[in-house]
This record gives sequence, structure tokens and C-alpha cells, in this order.
Amino acid sequence: MAARTRLPLLSPKNLPPFRNRKLVHTEAAVKEAVYPPIIPSLTAKSKSARRRQAEEQVQKIRASTVQEKLDLITRIQRQKFVVYPQTFARNPDKWYQHFTKTAYIPGLPEKFTPVQEQPEAGESSPTAGDHGSEDEAFTDIRSLVTRVILQEHWHIKKRKVFLYRQQEQVVGPLLRNLVTGLTYSLAKHNPLLLLSSLDLNPQVNFYWRRGERIIPKGHRKGRLEPTRFQIDDHPHSQIRITQQLPQFAPMDASYTAEVPEITLAPNLMPLFRRQYDNHIFTGAKLPDPACYGHTQFHLVPDRYHRDRMAQQQQSDQVEVFLRTNGLASLFAWTGAQAMYQGFWNHEDVTRPFVSQAVITDGQFFSFFCYQLNTVALSVEMDANNPRKNLLWGTESMRLYESVQDGEVVGLNDGVIKLLVQFLMNQP
Amino acid sequence: MFPETAAPLFSHAVLLKGLRRLSAHGGAGRLQARRHFVVSRCLTAKVPPVRKPRERVHIPGLDKVTYGERMHVVPGLAKPVNPRWQRDYKDPRFYMSSPMQEMPLHKEKPCYVYSQRTNALEGVLQALWLTKTKMISALPPHLLSLAENPVNQIPNQDERVQNAIKHARFWDTTEDRTGKEKYSNTLLLNLLHLCATLQSSHPAIGRRIFAEKYSLAATWKRGEDLLQIRGQNGLLHCSMDPLPVVSGKEEVADTADHVLKTFYPVSPTIDLQKIHVYKEMNSSGFRSDTPYPHAHTLYFGEQDDARCVLRPDQFRAKMIMFTFGNALARAHTLYGTKPQRVLDQPITVQAVGTNGRLFQFLVFQLNTTDLSGDDGIKNQLWLEDDVELYDFAKVRPLIKKKQVKVPAGLAGYKPETFSKFLALYLHGAV
Repeated sequence: MAARTRLPLLSPKNLPPFRNRKLVHTEAAVKEAVYPPIIPSLTAKSKSARRRQAEEQVQKIRASTVQEKLDLITRIQRQKFVVYPQTFARNPDKWYQHFTKTAYIPGLPEKFTPVQEQPEAGESSPTAGDHGSEDEAFTDIRSLVTRVILQEHWHIKKRKVFLYRQQEQVVGPLLRNLVTGLTYSLAKHNPLLLLSSLDLNPQVNFYWRRGERIIPKGHRKGRLEPTRFQIDDHPHSQIRITQQLPQFAPMDASYTAEVPEITLAPNLMPLFRRQYDNHIFTGAKLPDPACYGHTQFHLVPDRYHRDRMAQQQQSDQVEVFLRTNGLASLFAWTGAQAMYQGFWNHEDVTRPFVSQAVITDGQFFSFFCYQLNTVALSVEMDANNPRKNLLWGTESMRLYESVQDGEVVGLNDGVIKLLVQFLMNQP
Repeated sequence: MFPETAAPLFSHAVLLKGLRRLSAHGGAGRLQARRHFVVSRCLTAKVPPVRKPRERVHIPGLDKVTYGERMHVVPGLAKPVNPRWQRDYKDPRFYMSSPMQEMPLHKEKPCYVYSQRTNALEGVLQALWLTKTKMISALPPHLLSLAENPVNQIPNQDERVQNAIKHARFWDTTEDRTGKEKYSNTLLLNLLHLCATLQSSHPAIGRRIFAEKYSLAATWKRGEDLLQIRGQNGLLHCSMDPLPVVSGKEEVADTADHVLKTFYPVSPTIDLQKIHVYKEMNSSGFRSDTPYPHAHTLYFGEQDDARCVLRPDQFRAKMIMFTFGNALARAHTLYGTKPQRVLDQPITVQAVGTNGRLFQFLVFQLNTTDLSGDDGIKNQLWLEDDVELYDFAKVRPLIKKKQVKVPAGLAGYKPETFSKFLALYLHGAV
């Protein structure tokens, strides 16, 4: 055995053939990762771990069914601001617009133009017969409204009403009869109403996050905390339908709308924090087939009646109150409808959700239309979200002047026509 | 030792005053509810009996000499009796009503009143006796055949009714299950909503309206007694057109042979409120020029009055009495208050009562307002009681010995019940 003390020079001829191939132009072979990707830990006490936990939660919610999504989003109870649609605060509409990212457009969408113009898109061949039957139908509706008003104010023998119970005891039944009467009369023209579900005194809840604050004091001092809101609304009545209403305006149109920015903290409004179960509810649970909303009807309580506001020198707040009520109630309803379809903060809506509301105190009626374009309101999703929600609304209009000696004086046809148009809205 | 201004401890007067105040609120049993801030006196002694003030007898002609004019107490002279001071304006916080005999509407003859909280002992039998009615325990057949007709049925009727039941029982709340008074109310409203969607094919339904909280009053004589029905009862469906007559003239004449069942020795007016201060009124609750004068159907819920929960028999009696009251009030407006032996056009009123699962259907026909004697033509009643709409609506399944006895969700739905409901609703509109 002769140990080789000197290795011969490695000539290219003798090199193993494979090594050569590496130097020639070949495509880099895709190597499968042998080790798992390097991602931050899940349980460490670090900011990256916290970030990863949040992402895992988001992925988990994305991958679950709608009922599980709702449960996971509303699982943890924390202190949240309770937003009341009917509030005594002054100028709450700007605050609520900021919380819900809604732009207010005075007047109603083109669909509900005042009736002086002939609606051309509706009828294909307007004949004299058609106009005649329309007028007949409108006269029937007008007499129905007259009879409903007289029934409560004149025909029923009632005792003198208790203090501050006038709305509940007189206007409540009136509105109920009006809603039911109009719905069933118009059901033959609007087949959606035939399959609809009418709720009396339902419950509507919505829970969302918007904005952030730095916790000022306590063991979590200095950390960022999202601001949570909850709306618990009890409309007088609502109509839920099985199909969705068409949008009033394309989503892109909302990019240019203006939403007022409020830099003050919400509790300065005044708005108060509480902690209880978070609910997201349209009026019926998830298995109900009528999961989309059509119209809500709200009653102005005695506390916020315009006569009482005038006594307290707050007459300018009457319209503001109605607008706020419409905004908050409709946002909660459309938001809950969107959640029922599986859209949430991190999965934004792909189609706009639309609902309507009528707010009345028995004599004055205001009409509101709401289009929900985005549910992504929390801080991380809002940074690049150009979409805004839209609210169209009218000022309050008088339906009738007064009831004298069994006659309704000064019945306003325009309001009745708007009511009819609202209920006739269908895809 | 003690200053004179301080109240003495354990003084008899303080004790009595404290105990009397306590006893006025219900005796020793209420002691636990009150907060005792005083530790210095005994509060658990026996309450002394109430002593009546000494009766002062006035002998006419013999006036006592009083010290009133002298303005100070004179021993030997009597204490002046001054007239009781009365406010010259009416303050509702300090109103004392005059005794019953001095009220302007006081009458010697008592009146027996049936109100919405009356719990009649004999139930349906008592109601039949008081209203002089013959009962038939099934709905009239031509009424049931109304619902068999496919024209009168709602498209997808079974599915929609089941959705209505599920909505009322399960889906209406954020909790797991809805409370009983809420779901019985919601179920009734949902079923009414379903029936009313037929207005597009049956325009006569549009000639009706709902009314709540209207005050009914009707008076009639039965034998020696004067009876009244008063109160606010349930939901009324009133209509512009009267209901068609259910039974013809021969059947009405045949009822004269029927003998009313008595329940001697119990008096027929048992459990009715006996009052001496009353007004004999007959009012349907609406003014005379109302466009909807005819009562079509009354809807009763067992849970409407939380303070007065009636057993099923008593609930049916209440239904009968108020249906009769509505019919009688209408008869009095049409034919006058004088008793009529037989009405030319008998008045028909319907009623539906429910507790959320069981339904009671009632059709009442008023043939006569001459109710004093026990013989003669009687009124007629068709009553179907305890009709189930579904067997179970459970949130969690009933499992006994590891076997599922009743599944979760709606079980045992019976479509015939809704057909009867719809038939009663459409009666008069077809």
C-alpha cells in the first residue's frame, strides 16, 4: 500500500459528470423546502406573535360557516359604546355619520322622484285604461288612509290619554293599521310583499368596531384598543323579504361622498360604555328565509315629539333627531343583513345592501333610504377603503292638518304617493 | 338627666305609632322587606287591635255648650265639633270618594258584570246559560269546505305556515327560545299576515280593519238578574259587511225545543262581580258612523292578561261571553234595546283563541235578544276546542334512555288546523 501523498490535479475530464452540468446554463431546479417557513411564534410574548395570533383568528373566521362567523365575531364581551338611534344628544347626526362612515344626501334617489313627472320606465304602453285603474287604485289607498286615521282619532271611544302615552296608545295602533292596510293592498302589485314577513315590535342589533384609542390608564396603559359600538334598536314594525332590493346608486359613486370627521372621543357626545352580550340580529335568526330587509317603520316617542322639543327651545333638533334615527336604525339593519350573508370586517360586501325607513309621529312623515357599501370599518381595513355608505333622506312632511268632526282636513297626496312608492320598491 | 326636647326611648306612643304604620302595610310578614334603621325600639311586638272612635250621639234640640266661642279650653264645657274641612278644588292626590249609597248612579237592584278578568266557576256551561245558547261541538261543515277549495289556499301553504311557527317559536329572539306570551302573540300575528296576503285574490278582505283596546258594553236581563259585559278584550277584526248567516230559519226555530243545562245548586251568576253603582249601557266601542260596524272575528290569547291566567274551560267561557257581547251590542243598535223574540237577520260573530299551540274556534249566531225566560228560541254556538297546530317545537331534543323521543325543531305539524283558521278568516269574503 502506498499512501498517496500528493493528489493528482483534478482535470475537468475526470470530474464527475454531474458537477459539470451545474455550471452550464440550466434552469434552477425548484427545490422543495425541506424546513417549514420561518414565521413568528404563536405563543411568545412579542408583538409579532400578537400579530400572528390576530391573523390566525382572521383566517379561522374566513374559513368557517356564517353562523360560526357570527359567533366568533361576537364571542368576547368587552366594554363598548351603546349607540341609541333615538337620542337626546344635540347634533348627533354628525357623530353617527362618522361612526358608521355614512354620507348624507338630502332628498331621495331618482327612483322616488316627485310624481309630477310621468314615470316612463315603469309602464310599457301607458293607455288611458291604465291611468284610470291607477287613479282608481290610488283613490282606494287614499280612502284607506283616511279611514285608518279616523278610526283611531275619531271612531274608537277612548278615555282621555295618559300623560306622555299619546304616541304609544293612539299613534302606535294607527301606524300598525296603516302599515298592514297598505302592505296588503299593494301586495297584488308587488309580489315581494306576498312572500314577505311582517314583524311588529321586532329587535334589531348590530355590533362593529371603528377607530382606535390609546388606553389612558390601567394595567393596559399605552396600548391601542379598537373602539367597539353596539346598536340595539326596536322599530315599530318592519317588512323583511326573501330577495334583495336593487341598489340606488353604483358603489363607485360613493367614493366622492363626504363623511364628516370628528376628532373628539365618542364619550363626549355623550355616549356611554357598557359591557354585555354582543348581538347581531336582523329581526329573525339565520335560518329564516326572509333575510333581506325592505322597509322599517319608526314611531317618534312622546319624549322627542316636536311639541315637547319646542317647549324646550330645541325645535332645530327635530329634523336632526329624525335623521339620526333613520341613519342608525338603517345602518344596523343593513349591517346585520350583510353579516347574515357572510360579509364582515375583513371580507367586505361584494354587492350593496339597501333598505328603507319611514319615521313618523302620527302627523309628520320622513322617508329615508340607506345603501350599505362597506362593512370594513375597523382601523386596519379602513385605511385603503374608499367606499362610503349612503343615506338619502327627506325633511318631515305633514300627512294631514287635523281631524275635525269625523273628517280628515288637509290630506297630503304627495306623502301617500311616496309611501306607496316605498312599498312598491322591488327588483 | 335627659334634655326635655329629646324623644324618650321605648316610649309607648313611639312604639304604637311605629307598629301601626308597619301593620298597615301588611303585618309582620313585611318586616323582612323593610330596612330598619332604628335600633332603639322594638318592632316585632303584637299589633294592638284597632279601636273605633267613641260614637258621638247628637240629640236634636239638646245642643251642648261648647268652649268654641271662648277660643280656649274650659273644663266642664264640651269640645266643639267643627264641620269637616273640604278643599274647594279637586286634587287627585287627596280624593275621597263619597260612600256608595250617595253616588248618583247607585241603584237598589244589583247588576252582575262579566269582565275580562272573570274566572267563571262552571266555565262553558255557565256561559251557555247566561247567553241562552245551544252549543254544537263542531264547526259548521260549509265553513270547513271553504278552506278545501284550492282557490282559497295560500301558495306553498304548509311550508309557509311551518316557517311562521318556527319564526314565532325559535327565530324571533336573540335568546335560545322565545317566552310563551311573546310567541303566542307573534304566532297569531304571523298567521294573520299569511291569511291577509290573500287580499290580492279576495278583494273583500280589504274591507276590514283591526282594532284593539276598544271598550265593549252590553246589558241584558236573564230571569230576575240584570247582567252586563264590560271591558277591553283582545284583538277585533271588524268589517264593513256583516257575516252571512250560518244556520237557516228552520234550525233557528228548532232550537226552541232545546233545554239549557243547569248546574244547580250553583247560581248562574257565580263569580260575576255584583255592583250597585252602574249605568245600563250598550256600546260596541265605536261611534255610530264608523265605516266598519260589524264585528267579524275576535282573537284572544291566553297570555294577554298576565295577572289573570285562566284555565282552558274558563278561557272558552270568556270567549263565548265577549263574542255574545259584541253581537248583542250590534243587535241593540240595529233593533233597539227592547227584547226581540227572533231577529230578522241573525247576527254572526266569530272568535279564535290560542295559547301558542292549541286553538279554540268559535262561531256564534245571535237569534234572539229575549233572554229573560229559559224557553223560546235560543242562540247558537259552534265550538271546536283544543285543536292542535303542532305537537312539539323543541329547541333541544327530548332524549330518554339514550333514545330520541322528540327531535329538535318543529314536530307533528297538522295542516287541518290552519285550514280551519283560514276558513274562519275568509268567511264572508269569498
